[in-house]
Amino acid sequence: MTNKALAGIRVVELGPYVALPLTGRILGSMGAEIIKVETNKVLDEMAFIPAWSKGAGQPDFQSAKKRITLDVRTPEGRDIFMELIKTADVFMTNFRRNILERWGIDFPQIREVRPDIINMWQTGLGGHGPYYTYKSYGILVQHMSGVSMMSGSPDAPPVATNSSYSDYHTGVFQPVAIIGALMRRRLTGKPITLESSIFSSGTITAGPSILDYQANGNHPQRLDNRDRSAVPHGVYPCQGEDRFCAIAVYSDQEWNDFCQAMGDPPWCQMPEYATAIDRSRNQDSLDENISVWTSQFTADVVMSKLQQNGVPASVVSQGEDLYDSPHLKARGFYRPTPYYVAERGTAAFQWEEGTSLSWNMPFRMSGTPVDSGHYSNIGEDNSYVFEELLGMEPEKVKALADQEVIF
Amino acid sequence: MEPQPPADGSLLPPYRILDLAGGPGVFCAKLLADYGADVIKVEPPSGDYGRSKGPFLGDEPHPEKSAYFLYYNTNKKSVTLNLETELGRAIFKRLAATADAVVESFPVGYLKGLGLDYESLSEANPGLVMASVTAFGQDGPWNEYKSSDLIAMAASGYMQITGDPDGPPMRQGNEQSHFPGAQYAAVAILAALYHRDAAGGTGQYIDVSQQESLITYYSDAHPAVLWMQLEQNVTRVGTNSTLVIPLGAYPCRDGWISAGVITPREWEGLSQWIYEVTGNEEVLNEQYKGGNQERAPHIDIISAMFMDFTMRFTADYLFHEGQKRNLVFIPVNNVADLPEDPQLEASNLWTEIEHPQAGVLKYPLGVFNSDEIAPSAVPAPLLGQHNEAIFCEELGYRKEDLAFLRSAGVI
Repeated sequence: MTNKALAGIRVVELGPYVALPLTGRILGSMGAEIIKVETNKVLDEMAFIPAWSKGAGQPDFQSAKKRITLDVRTPEGRDIFMELIKTADVFMTNFRRNILERWGIDFPQIREVRPDIINMWQTGLGGHGPYYTYKSYGILVQHMSGVSMMSGSPDAPPVATNSSYSDYHTGVFQPVAIIGALMRRRLTGKPITLESSIFSSGTITAGPSILDYQANGNHPQRLDNRDRSAVPHGVYPCQGEDRFCAIAVYSDQEWNDFCQAMGDPPWCQMPEYATAIDRSRNQDSLDENISVWTSQFTADVVMSKLQQNGVPASVVSQGEDLYDSPHLKARGFYRPTPYYVAERGTAAFQWEEGTSLSWNMPFRMSGTPVDSGHYSNIGEDNSYVFEELLGMEPEKVKALADQEVIF
Repeated sequence: MEPQPPADGSLLPPYRILDLAGGPGVFCAKLLADYGADVIKVEPPSGDYGRSKGPFLGDEPHPEKSAYFLYYNTNKKSVTLNLETELGRAIFKRLAATADAVVESFPVGYLKGLGLDYESLSEANPGLVMASVTAFGQDGPWNEYKSSDLIAMAASGYMQITGDPDGPPMRQGNEQSHFPGAQYAAVAILAALYHRDAAGGTGQYIDVSQQESLITYYSDAHPAVLWMQLEQNVTRVGTNSTLVIPLGAYPCRDGWISAGVITPREWEGLSQWIYEVTGNEEVLNEQYKGGNQERAPHIDIISAMFMDFTMRFTADYLFHEGQKRNLVFIPVNNVADLPEDPQLEASNLWTEIEHPQAGVLKYPLGVFNSDEIAPSAVPAPLLGQHNEAIFCEELGYRKEDLAFLRSAGVI
């Protein structure tokens, strides 16, 4: 059987940024047909992030999709959109309800034209409650969900990660909801409307601390890179600028292996490091001794010396490490891809083509292919969708393009 | 054979899933269990590692009171089985013959050494789906390297962009590495089961790399593309962002406020507001107008003007007044704020669960909100709680056999 796992499923995707497009990309890589509805008039701001190479990152989020231009805010655009919905199994969007209503494509209207459709509605803070109209971005949810307050040094401000945090959790939760809803519809005949929220998705990642607070009143402490059950545990400076190797020693066996990997320096035998409890009490001096050793080598050398002795360790990878990684190369994780250099005020088909790099899915399936498919430019699949799928006359499509409806 | 349909109010059919997974995969079967799968956690007779991991309810170590275990094992059943004994393996094989899926995260090759790898288990059950979630995946030169939460955060580079620019890379305090690989595994397992049932396919094997999964979870920082195109490496930025300006957590009059301005229209609104408050004409400078790429070269001056503005107000004022102006201002919360948050409440995030040892607590399970379905509300199992139900009632062992298996160290 060479069919992809989700062959035969059609999904209409309407919305920008990270989480929703990632959901489409995942489903598309397993064979679902993702029809991404966009317009040249309002571009996804992700096309300008990163600023240094506009659009270079979009293949991560928009590969394996059919991309069409259609301004659903126009009456003709809205009607064509509804024709498309009639052919779809799933509609997913991250627009707010008041906006969907204004455009005449709110969920009840969607359900009316396609009664068994699965609706996936992605919100920022949730679609109900006092702040349901409020906006949010995934990168901020690390702050909302308590995660940044539990990260960093005990005596310094919280720290954050320079990426869209729970957009990714939401983006990978949604395929679970969608495939589950397809299973449920197949077995019960019942369609379903599901809502996800970036805030809820991020809060789930703080689960144990939330229970600890309720039961004990404990606020999670910022522990630096230390750990309650491992010592030494942290990142240690290596040769080069901003280069570190992470080391995590859990058992006595690993401690002995660690000392051996370092060539059994005399300080390893000092009584203050004799047992795990001693090492835990004397972590500051232990970390200093380890840093003296790691500073003599590159992070790569430290990692392989330790891993070859059975000690958990890793380079803190930078872009160049990932790009050149023999391991990731052997696994075929990255692939070259074209992209289109976004320009405001011009239609996407006029954009220049560039060369970028994107990842393949981080999982493989032995029986059904998972691939990254084709990376379409915005509007590249207009004739397939409007003419082949919806049976519109080419002249009509052209006329609507001239009127900037299919645009 | 068709699976049973989902129970009323459940999303998923009651697929039987055997859960052998630790840290990198522990969230996978939990998510599926919360939404209706019949998950059996197969623990060693001494108990899953998570039972000895804090924090503990009551602050005293106890195998049934680990907040970590209680959270990651909601809606699962528990049997004990020593896979390092021949009898334990034989029983596991019989159990696997009844299963739709197995999820595991042992070191590469461990289950093969026990004769419990996908090839062996699928012989008797060709419909079986099996997923391995491991630190570096099943092959490649690093496949046997040891890992942990910290190591996973380092190897993926996620730590490289987390922390203060003048300090070392930092891990996030919530064991963030538990989520990406486990979430992808849940997606792939469901896709494989959908294919098996809807298209008449067979089962299959799924190889998930935690490192690769984590790399995809900070895609918008584009570490490899930045290196390929500019030979630069991504860096840490404290609580702010270098990707979008301004964006992040900023000090305000009574603590912290987070904010993010992405679209040209949002900048228009924010710059006007800053000007109204501070009278600083610089903020209206034409060269900052437009999208993020226009502001990126001016990060320092824009951040400074923005902080001069945020420092004048309380977090609460900025939150509501900002949103009124269609700008993304969001509070910076501690976990204590979450159980009371009205938005999370209205999103039905919380499921109240009573556990015989841990009492009643609100668990954040409701990642999907729907009128038709909700998460199940069964507490994490006691160690071996379902031995009799599974081994005797399902597999036909006698109660006397359980006593033997127990003293033989099998269960």
